[in-house]
Amino acid sequence: MIQFGGRQGAYALLLFVVLYYTLFRPSVRARSSHYLKRRFPGRNGLVSLWDSYRLNLGIGRILVDRAVLGILGPERLKVSLAGRQELQHLLEEGHGLVLVTAHVGCWQLAMSSLSTLDTRVSLLMHHEEGDLDRQFFEHGGGSAPYRIVDPAGYLGGTLEMLQVLKHGEILCIMGDRVMGGESGTVSVNFLGQPVELPFSPYKLASATGAPVAVIFPYQTGEGGYALQVARVIRVPEQLGRASKAYRPYAAQFIEALERFVADHPYQFFNFFDMWAPAVPGKPRRRG
Amino acid sequence: MDIKNKLKKILVEDLNLEELTPEQIDDNAPLFGEGLGLDSLDAVELVVLVQKHFGIEIKDMEEGRTAFQSVNALAAYIEGRLAQ
Repeated sequence: MIQFGGRQGAYALLLFVVLYYTLFRPSVRARSSHYLKRRFPGRNGLVSLWDSYRLNLGIGRILVDRAVLGILGPERLKVSLAGRQELQHLLEEGHGLVLVTAHVGCWQLAMSSLSTLDTRVSLLMHHEEGDLDRQFFEHGGGSAPYRIVDPAGYLGGTLEMLQVLKHGEILCIMGDRVMGGESGTVSVNFLGQPVELPFSPYKLASATGAPVAVIFPYQTGEGGYALQVARVIRVPEQLGRASKAYRPYAAQFIEALERFVADHPYQFFNFFDMWAPAVPGKPRRRG
Repeated sequence: MDIKNKLKKILVEDLNLEELTPEQIDDNAPLFGEGLGLDSLDAVELVVLVQKHFGIEIKDMEEGRTAFQSVNALAAYIEGRLAQ
């Protein structure tokens, strides 16, 4: 469809596909309801159905644009990296740079735009066969513009992540997604209720002296994206082993995310129920 | 105090292994998982502690992977690096 009708054709088809799924697939509405009922408390009926449609349309457009990026090439999309100079200055401190992002916008485009920083980028993500996130760069036959650190690797990939930072490179981690067991999380309020967030980004920053930049890639219009540096977090060195020492920094990340979803309510695509009570001893599912 | 005993003391005191004394730590027990029960994020702490107490920066994570097998392995790694 994209090869013949281009992005516009795919977007037009998407309007009807998303309408069908939103109206006739309760599971699709259920997946978006965890976030929407907290972002828009008190809404129900047709209004909440409209919210669900808009959110699903948003992720649909992202999927189309990801495919456009892979099939037709990055030149078909416009990506602006606001704060490039700020990121460059943070890198020049020489301790590496931890980028914390979330399931917002199109993070693959963000990764592409980071290549202008001329520093190797590593991304913490599960590395599975058939993974859609891996495949999309392969549409164009090219290699991904980032290196993957697998959290299922030796010691959860922590030694690799440390190595990235010690070499002064960029490490990107999803701050709204729990990769391991509950011992690696802290509880903070998101949209009024507690969620468990990983504290590994802040622990790594404390161990290495690396600054943390919170970045959100978001869609600005059809085929247009911006990468926003929402906040820079400074974590004191050698905070130690206790998880509670890292809670204030996870809270700073969540404050930035709350501001983002206030400005872009239909661009938050973490469909996992972040607010569900944790099952003791059981690792939380990926978002 | 030799390196092995100093390491055990550091593990107990700096990683707050309150249920253990340095003498109770088996030299060959795995540091992570079922041995001492350290988790993956403790590896970050351990890298920092080795640098702080012995002045050794573990930059090559393949070396770290070998060194973090047990107290014996870590002590041998530190001794090797100090001898260089």
